[in-house]
Amino acid sequence: MSSLLQRLFHLSKVNIELDDIQAVILRNRPIPYFGTNALLHFESAAAGRELIKKLLPLITSAEDWHQAEDASATIAFTFEGLRILRLPDASLDSFPESFREGMAKRAVKLNDVDEHAPEHWQKPFGTGQIHAAVNIIADTHEKWQHALEKAKAELGLLGGVTLLHQADFAATEEAKNVFGYRDGISNPTIEGSGVDEVPGFGKPIKAGEFILGYPGESGAIGKFPDPELLGKNGTFLVFRKYHSNVYLFNKFLKDNANTDYEQELLAAKMFGRWRSGAPLTLTPEKDDHEIGADAHRNNNFSYEEDELGKTVPLSCHMRRMNPRDTKQSVMSDVNLHRIIRKGVSYGSAPHKDAVIDDGEQRGLYFIAISAKAMDTVEHLQSQWVNEGNFINHGDEKDPIIGLNQGKGLFTVPGAGERRRYHAIETFNVMQGGEYFFLPGLRALKWMSEL
Amino acid sequence: MSKIGETLDDLKLIVQLYLAKRHESADDGFDHSVIAHGRGGLRSGKISELTVIAPLREGGAERLRRILEIAKGNLGGATLVGTVHDLRFVFLDNDTKVLFCTAFDGEWDHYIEDFATKIPEMMDLLFDNIEGWPGIKSATVKDFILKYQIPASGWYVAYPHLTVNDVLRNDVIVKGVNKAIDDAQVIRR
Repeated sequence: MSSLLQRLFHLSKVNIELDDIQAVILRNRPIPYFGTNALLHFESAAAGRELIKKLLPLITSAEDWHQAEDASATIAFTFEGLRILRLPDASLDSFPESFREGMAKRAVKLNDVDEHAPEHWQKPFGTGQIHAAVNIIADTHEKWQHALEKAKAELGLLGGVTLLHQADFAATEEAKNVFGYRDGISNPTIEGSGVDEVPGFGKPIKAGEFILGYPGESGAIGKFPDPELLGKNGTFLVFRKYHSNVYLFNKFLKDNANTDYEQELLAAKMFGRWRSGAPLTLTPEKDDHEIGADAHRNNNFSYEEDELGKTVPLSCHMRRMNPRDTKQSVMSDVNLHRIIRKGVSYGSAPHKDAVIDDGEQRGLYFIAISAKAMDTVEHLQSQWVNEGNFINHGDEKDPIIGLNQGKGLFTVPGAGERRRYHAIETFNVMQGGEYFFLPGLRALKWMSEL
Repeated sequence: MSKIGETLDDLKLIVQLYLAKRHESADDGFDHSVIAHGRGGLRSGKISELTVIAPLREGGAERLRRILEIAKGNLGGATLVGTVHDLRFVFLDNDTKVLFCTAFDGEWDHYIEDFATKIPEMMDLLFDNIEGWPGIKSATVKDFILKYQIPASGWYVAYPHLTVNDVLRNDVIVKGVNKAIDDAQVIRR
């Protein structure tokens, strides 16, 4: 992917302040990658500001984002974190209501109810203790370890900053998730970041949808936090941790399809892609590893010829999360609901014959970035994940990430018969999460000197 | 009136409502209870209501009335939205204010941005007659709407479990099934 982007990058097309934007927003992850997510607690404003000062040299800007090279660090803050850092009241009040409330208080909007409700979350999520998140990622084990040691050494020298939670992650060349599927293929391209149209990735979307302070799809600049020095070139990040019941998914396939081929086809119908990442649209009958691994082809398709979902079910995970040119039954502008996905898997991927819980922790850190990430994820969760109305499917939910609770329904239109699968379980269980603000580099400096 | 008096009056009303319901109501098995939901209005099952009373610009009533007369109810923009069960405009106080009421699926603030890119002309044509309308693309449009919103105190929905899409889909299915049965009765000899 990075080689593709290097060729498509044109400096003349850059009209956003790349040197002030944190790299993670635009930079594609190296493949393979090694990284760490750390959640931090500040005991005082001084401690938090000192940490920002120490980390600033490690935080890379999005300049030269098309050349993913060295280890890069990212820092983001919860509203509680910004309060501890004693941002001026006028600044704090200028943040969106959803961010100020935090993810746990938005549970109903996010459909985080029943077993997904905040009272079942892992600590410290939703407790107000998390003030900042730091992410370090590199393309080799050595670079990652080096950057991590450096960051930890700085942290060790500081008093008043507590490491609440550390999670390491890595991905191989195949970038597979714990279900055994290539993940993170499709991401929006951003206008003004210097790229040409990439086949199948759609028209570049206005920068204001992803970075604060620029015009969005409607042509208007949305609200951003005060002062401009703080808000502009920043964005919001949604972090959600899921535990994956892969054994339940494997069992569902075995209970509902006979041969290995039929099971793989049903699974592909649920995801929208085969295990290699090859989309059903391009290879409806069987997996194709060459297409799956080819960044020029694995996302280059539309639903123009598949209005009824006979190849890619309207209700499958991939088509729900990015309907592309699907005719929707609720008026909606797909470009307004895209997110930059930076999710990473954790834990091992069990064999597809494993149908009993081995008790291991595994799943996904869902990380989504957008100028209105809270609105977007609340919209996705309530309208596109846990509903079927936008595709005229009644109450049907996303078969992979919906809160299906053993009562889920999944419709697979076919050439002749239309099949409806019942009793879908909740395959991905919410473990907790937070809303973060991801400031620009000048804003970070300002925050550290308040 | 004393607290005790209020309580007694309450009790009387509860008894009266109970008796009225006992003699004159039915249970269709659907939950019709309303809850305060999201920013503002009431929600009954999948359906929400929005009630707004807002001041009109000079000449706004005349302009809006003319638009509505020309349309005669054929507001194609609302059809396109796909979630609107009904909407109405009522002019109040000598044409100085307008009452806008609508019932729709889900929550209105989820889709304001979509309206701004998909049907901006229609939205502004109708609502620019309101004093101070910031424009559908404005970052403050949600706050503007909330400022004039009055949550309903009572509301009844016959089918709280069905969206506009559900109703239309069910209609197509019933017609299709009836047609198939009719076709099957044709004597093919």
